[in-house]
Amino acid sequence: MFALYKKELQAFFYSPFAYVLTALFMLIFSFGFITSIANMDSNTLKFSFPEFFYNNFFYFIFIIPLLTMRSFADERRGGTEVLLYSSPLSVTQIVLAKFLAIVTVFLFMIVLSLFFPIYAACTGKVIWSALICAYAGFFLWGLVCIALGMLLSSLTGNAIIAAIIGEIVMEGLLFLDQVAGSRLVDAYPHLNSVVTWFSMQRRFVYFSQGMFRLEDLVFFLSVTALVLCWNVLSIEKRRYSHA
Amino acid sequence: MVEIKNLTKRYGGNVALHGISFDIKDHEILGFLGPNGAGKSTTMNIIAGYLPSTSGTVTINGFDITEQAADAKRCIGYLPEIPPVYPDMRVEEYLTFCAGIKGIKRPDVKPQVESAMERLHITDMRRRLIRNLSKGYKQRVGFAQALLGNPKILILDEPTVGLDPAQVSEVRALIKELGKDHAVIFSSHILAEVSAVCERVVIITKGEIRAIDTIEHLERSMTANTLLNLTVEGEKDTALRILKDIRGIKEIKYLNAADGRVSCQLTLEDESVRNEIMSALMANGCNIAEMSMAKLDLEQVFLKLTAQKEKRSSLQDLLDETPDVSGEAPQDAANDTTE
Repeated sequence: MFALYKKELQAFFYSPFAYVLTALFMLIFSFGFITSIANMDSNTLKFSFPEFFYNNFFYFIFIIPLLTMRSFADERRGGTEVLLYSSPLSVTQIVLAKFLAIVTVFLFMIVLSLFFPIYAACTGKVIWSALICAYAGFFLWGLVCIALGMLLSSLTGNAIIAAIIGEIVMEGLLFLDQVAGSRLVDAYPHLNSVVTWFSMQRRFVYFSQGMFRLEDLVFFLSVTALVLCWNVLSIEKRRYSHA
Repeated sequence: MVEIKNLTKRYGGNVALHGISFDIKDHEILGFLGPNGAGKSTTMNIIAGYLPSTSGTVTINGFDITEQAADAKRCIGYLPEIPPVYPDMRVEEYLTFCAGIKGIKRPDVKPQVESAMERLHITDMRRRLIRNLSKGYKQRVGFAQALLGNPKILILDEPTVGLDPAQVSEVRALIKELGKDHAVIFSSHILAEVSAVCERVVIITKGEIRAIDTIEHLERSMTANTLLNLTVEGEKDTALRILKDIRGIKEIKYLNAADGRVSCQLTLEDESVRNEIMSALMANGCNIAEMSMAKLDLEQVFLKLTAQKEKRSSLQDLLDETPDVSGEAPQDAANDTTE
């Protein structure tokens, strides 16, 4: 499994792929950062990274499907999936290896983005506990999105289609967050509770307030595990009905 | 070594394999022969554990491919029809990766990769990106991948397709050499290739096995079936008596007699008997109305087998039941008619 993990990482870092995506992520981050600093309240001179994450989800959400689009679609297109599925590795191991590799790239991006809070710490005061909490929330949110993106990539043989559908699904998730707070859903308390439970951004709010709730941690991890299981099942299913 | 029982594969409503069964022995090269779309690749994909079967079992070295998948797959080296190579990797890097996913222990990886590259003559290409290699070299890299881990069973799906003639003979020689210490199952739609390399052959068409037989039987059936269709003007008894006296005729099959003409089919030891038959008949006053002969070549045998509707146990059975070979292949070069 480590061999596959290593190969996946090499595919990201031996090509410009990971660097271009990281650059894009940093670009979005720095634009957002500059705009937020420029619009700072002149009375308090307070800048909140958690709020910044919250407000820029819409942009960050574009990065994840680009990371995951090739994971299975390219294997299928290039005929290399035969090599993986006829190797002693189980489908679960294959999915996990690929997932961990993408998570590593995502972590690489997050670590680079620490430049901004560190820079801020040099010139002002940073509340590290709240910042770490926000980063943890962002990372957990990323895990769910990566698992989803991989699932979509395993459903198609075309990386571009995987990316586009990925973007649509991610937008759908954001939309769900909007719907959760709307009056339309508020009228039906049961529906509202379900939608709210699934709303990732609402859970992120707790992290951004510096609250590390076990409930949210379990939610993000279990949804990630669920989607990964779905991924394994969808691959197995396709092997059975492969034509 | 490999045992396949009642293997069935359905793709939705299509049945790709209809309960096929055969086995592969230790140190045997088994040829898997059939026209395109016969189910060769599907069978090989199932044996290699890439596709699951709808029903039936595949046992590899005692391990069931679905129940004990990892153990079974460790015994297999698989080269699919399209070599499963990553274009962005270098040859050596790719082979090291393959060794890794096959679970080869770290100290063994380097020597195994080296020996696989040497065997396939790609050591010079080790630093090259696979995307820049020619088709023949990509095929070799795929082949080298199958050899890693020294698997007991090698499954090679059309390993010579797309290679130039020199490479084809090289690959054939390699397969023969590998057969000494591996069980090899090797598919092709070229009969001559299978007969050059394999000891035993499984012929498959439309998802069903037509015949499982040794190459000797196949070759014997080729040479043993030099058939001569003969129509002679004269009495039936006279004609048959003359023919019986000629050495070199293995079998006389009387067909019919009408309008003073006798038709029969003769099985000859070789073509040279033909002149003897002609002179003996002429000397006894029997005019030859028609004489046509055909020697079955490998391709004809293959076409016959794959066109058959029913299943046969051996090639010989099949050929015994197809007496009108010469009549069905009038366009063949081996066919010549004397009036």
